Amino acid sequence: MATSRSEPHPSLHKDGPAAEPEWAARPPFRRVLIANRGEIAVRIIRACRDLGMETIAVYSDADAGAAHVRLADMAVRLGPAPPAESYLRTDAVVDAAVQAGAQAIHPGYGFLAERAAFARAVEAAGLVFVGPSVAAIDALGDKLHARRLARDAGVPVVPGTLDPVPVERPDQVEAIVAQAEAIGFPLLVKAAAGGGGRGMRRVTAASDLPAALAAGSHEAASAFGDGSVYLEREIEPARHIEVQLLGDVHGTVVAIGERDCSLQRRHQKLVEEAPAPGLTADERRHLHAMAVKVASAAGLQNAATAEFLRSPDGSFHFLEVNTRLQVEHGVTELVGDIDIVREQFFLAAGAPLSPAALAAAARAADPAGHAIEVRISAEDPGRDFAPTPGLVTRWHLPSGPGVRVDTAIEPGDRVPAAYDNLIAKVMVHAGDRAAAIDRLVRVLDELEVGGIQTTLPFHRFVARHAGFRAARLSTGWVGEHWDGAAEYRSAARAAQLATGMAALADGFGLDGGSGSRRPVDPRSPGRRWFLDGLERTLDRWPR
Amino acid sequence: MAAVTTGSDEAGSADERPADPRAVRVRLGPASAHAGLEAAVVEPPAIVLAPGTHSGGAPSDEQPTPSGFGQGIAPVTGDGIVLVDGRPLAGRLVRHGAGRATLALGTGTGGARHRVLLGPQQADPSGAVRREVVVDGWLVQVELESERRAALRARAGRERGDAEGNGPAEVRAIIPGAVISVAVAAGDEVTAGQELLVVEAMKMQNELRAPRAGRIARVAVAPGQKIELGDVLVVLE
Repeated sequence: MATSRSEPHPSLHKDGPAAEPEWAARPPFRRVLIANRGEIAVRIIRACRDLGMETIAVYSDADAGAAHVRLADMAVRLGPAPPAESYLRTDAVVDAAVQAGAQAIHPGYGFLAERAAFARAVEAAGLVFVGPSVAAIDALGDKLHARRLARDAGVPVVPGTLDPVPVERPDQVEAIVAQAEAIGFPLLVKAAAGGGGRGMRRVTAASDLPAALAAGSHEAASAFGDGSVYLEREIEPARHIEVQLLGDVHGTVVAIGERDCSLQRRHQKLVEEAPAPGLTADERRHLHAMAVKVASAAGLQNAATAEFLRSPDGSFHFLEVNTRLQVEHGVTELVGDIDIVREQFFLAAGAPLSPAALAAAARAADPAGHAIEVRISAEDPGRDFAPTPGLVTRWHLPSGPGVRVDTAIEPGDRVPAAYDNLIAKVMVHAGDRAAAIDRLVRVLDELEVGGIQTTLPFHRFVARHAGFRAARLSTGWVGEHWDGAAEYRSAARAAQLATGMAALADGFGLDGGSGSRRPVDPRSPGRRWFLDGLERTLDRWPR
Repeated sequence: MAAVTTGSDEAGSADERPADPRAVRVRLGPASAHAGLEAAVVEPPAIVLAPGTHSGGAPSDEQPTPSGFGQGIAPVTGDGIVLVDGRPLAGRLVRHGAGRATLALGTGTGGARHRVLLGPQQADPSGAVRREVVVDGWLVQVELESERRAALRARAGRERGDAEGNGPAEVRAIIPGAVISVAVAAGDEVTAGQELLVVEAMKMQNELRAPRAGRIARVAVAPGQKIELGDVLVVLE
């Protein structure tokens, strides 16, 4: 296979930090393929274009008209909509990069981002994988191996097993139950090969354990191709706090900040913020040091995130390391004044940690400012967050000071059912947490979505909630405070009132018939909506 | 809020009450119906709105007020008062153009302001009008028709014997996926909340439950079958 690696950057001929200014003078690569879709593909393409690098997008049939395809310099079709036939096809993605003359591939998050086999294939093709090394992905992708690594590095882990539970061995059931009882109930059955809540089961009594192990293992096998599961004590209430790490080829690893992602539902994050509220500078330093220790032990390069749980007594317990760029990286960028994707490209090209990265790391224990992100997803928070794919007829984004929205959606786009439901990340940045929350309320008032139900009403509720304002966060928060059905009911009643009042004003029932057939006068202000509505429902991509 | 009357409660009232020909009945459209156990609990009942006559001492004020969210231009309704199920409503709808509106309920600082987006209207074959309305981010499909017509239809329906709400219940797929297992068969008697089938979607398993007690009329799917959003899965008599 032809290699298409660019010639080594001139700075590689010199040693270390003295060469730094040279790195910034030239793009780290000439051409990059982005092996992803949706908002993160757009985000990465933007970083590439900021750096003057050419971009290659890949797409499935469902994304032929998508923003990331339009924004890239070239685009390659992978296959039909299902991920297994498109975005998960290692061979097709690597081929596309080689044929198009790319030097590097950025995997984004999800899809192939944490598959060591994909990173291996990229390197075998002579390209640079923009992410941690294959060895680090292997070492940390196995959650059990990561736990053992942390324990060996002297970092406390969440109490639980350090080896896979022998699910297939009926003769081991008693031993498994004994282990579980030593950990204590309630506990969690978790997948060793991946996260996101898949393969996870909560067990409150020993009698439920065998069924939970079987179900969790089956789901894990289906999601990750590996049914290995382990047991972990449930820490509840807990705060989910994670540390953003950057590492270079010289083995230097730094923590540039932490995030609090406690507001989750079924282990899917909904709201994230940086920095984690309520920590002292010493606590931050301690947390960051633990994260760096685990990362260094794994030889981490490029970008990764170390996740911890903070128990009510204030102690931190290591959960896992995600060897990829995370969805919520933007809040760290806002508070740390750094472009993580840009850093990833330079680090992948062999640069040492940049002055910006080192400065962010130096400030990390005592950060100035606060940033919050809410995930706008195509899900119905009144129906247990069930997915709501469909046509987006109205889409108006907030803007102004301290606002950042990462999205790939435009009015008239269709949200496909085949992929993750996240359609926009709405971030706010302000001088302190209270100001950030005020700004969030303002921003969510400006956001308009029509055509599909999204998680917007849930986030409006969070932004206005006194407990959220007081930073009383925990992973159980959503279950405790959110009553989707009740919120929907009162909104539905308001919708009935609004519709009826508009109809009366339009003289709806006057002719006793079924609708106002009066001609639309485009000049009258009350009628303009009708024409706007027609324009907005134009389907940009017919199914 | 006024005591709520639903269509099925108005025994003969369409003849006894002087019906305002301008009145409209508003209920949730079928796309708003939530599948599952909560369906009967979640939907607010239909309401009837009619223009009220303006009398001295009414809560609305006719002074022009500055435009904008929370303030509002003069209300677009003709007389300034709206009756909801017979009772005057302390509130108004202010239209800003391009489908945007503010629904102000309650008076003064104790009131609530709701962001409203009014979508285009679509005529239904049955003569009702459907409209998508977004209130504070909640998407609601609303159906409205003139009260006179709605009352006539309700009476005709009662005479035929199929009162609202007790017909066959369809359990439909709310997400695309695949059927893992089916726990019931045609003819089975089930209780409310009983598990009917298990569906796998987005790599997670979801149990679908009976929305009410009844007998299974039909099971429309089999294990291994792929399902799309809206597909009928099970029908209860």
